[in-house]
Amino acid sequence: MSAGLRTVILLSFVLAVGFLLIILSCALWSNWLPLLVALTFVLAPLPNALFSHCGSDEFSSYEGGGGPVDMGRFLTSLIVITGFALPIVLAHSGIIDSKASAMSIVGGGLVYGTIIAYSAAFTQSESEYD
Amino acid sequence: SDYDPRRVCLNPCPNFTLGKHRRTMGVYLAGALFALANWTFLDAAVLSAHAKPRWGDEVPVHVSFVDWVPGICSLLGYLVINMIDKDRIKGEEGFGGDSRAVWRARLFLFIGFALMAGGLAGSVTVLILKYILPAYTPQFTYYGYANVSQSVALMLSAVVLWIAQNTSNEYEYNLTL
Repeated sequence: MSAGLRTVILLSFVLAVGFLLIILSCALWSNWLPLLVALTFVLAPLPNALFSHCGSDEFSSYEGGGGPVDMGRFLTSLIVITGFALPIVLAHSGIIDSKASAMSIVGGGLVYGTIIAYSAAFTQSESEYD
Repeated sequence: SDYDPRRVCLNPCPNFTLGKHRRTMGVYLAGALFALANWTFLDAAVLSAHAKPRWGDEVPVHVSFVDWVPGICSLLGYLVINMIDKDRIKGEEGFGGDSRAVWRARLFLFIGFALMAGGLAGSVTVLILKYILPAYTPQFTYYGYANVSQSVALMLSAVVLWIAQNTSNEYEYNLTL
């Protein structure tokens, strides 16, 4: 239990650092376009979470899933790449600074990594419960 | 054991050793390629919209609607290809015996591939006619190359998605045998 608590505290700390980097990348150059990266990475796990319960019931042992599960994975991958590509594109055409782009990419990666690690830890504890 | 005399083409793709997660990895890779394709072109479009003239000159060329047409064709073809039920195309005899449905599925598959190939050809046309023949500087021919790479990456994404979804089907098929 204490290990789980420590994990939650660590992950929330990392999440805060990620958001700090994104907001700093906006505020230092007073150009609030990189905030879209935070929105993108927050939206990224949503399709997988929505579609993962669509394809299979609990009686089918086949884990491959059907069309809806594939759709969710496709959308997740698309949104993650969008989150990385958006600041690069903005920096390439000189709309935001290249340092702001790097900071928002690192911050977005931290936010997304936090969400992934949190969901992984959560499913681990759930299977422990079974 | 995988020799079937009814098949015209043997599957030239080697069996990947990713095992159980083959389908998952393929779908993720296809999504990533899809996003990369569209962002490559959007990069060119944003770059063109924010291009600043140097030394007071005019910017000679911009990304206009002509550049968007091949990408739109490729996207439509992508949608058409992925909306077809893959089991219909194989046209097995015991599959309801509806030969007209198989024919229609193959027709729509052909339309989808024709749209994608048309998108690729159109992007190459735009690259040559709009950017290479007037001999622009590399700053502007980049728009054309981005257009071509968008179409190529969309085709690659469709191929990867197709393979990822078909390997699982064949695996199931072998199990039922």
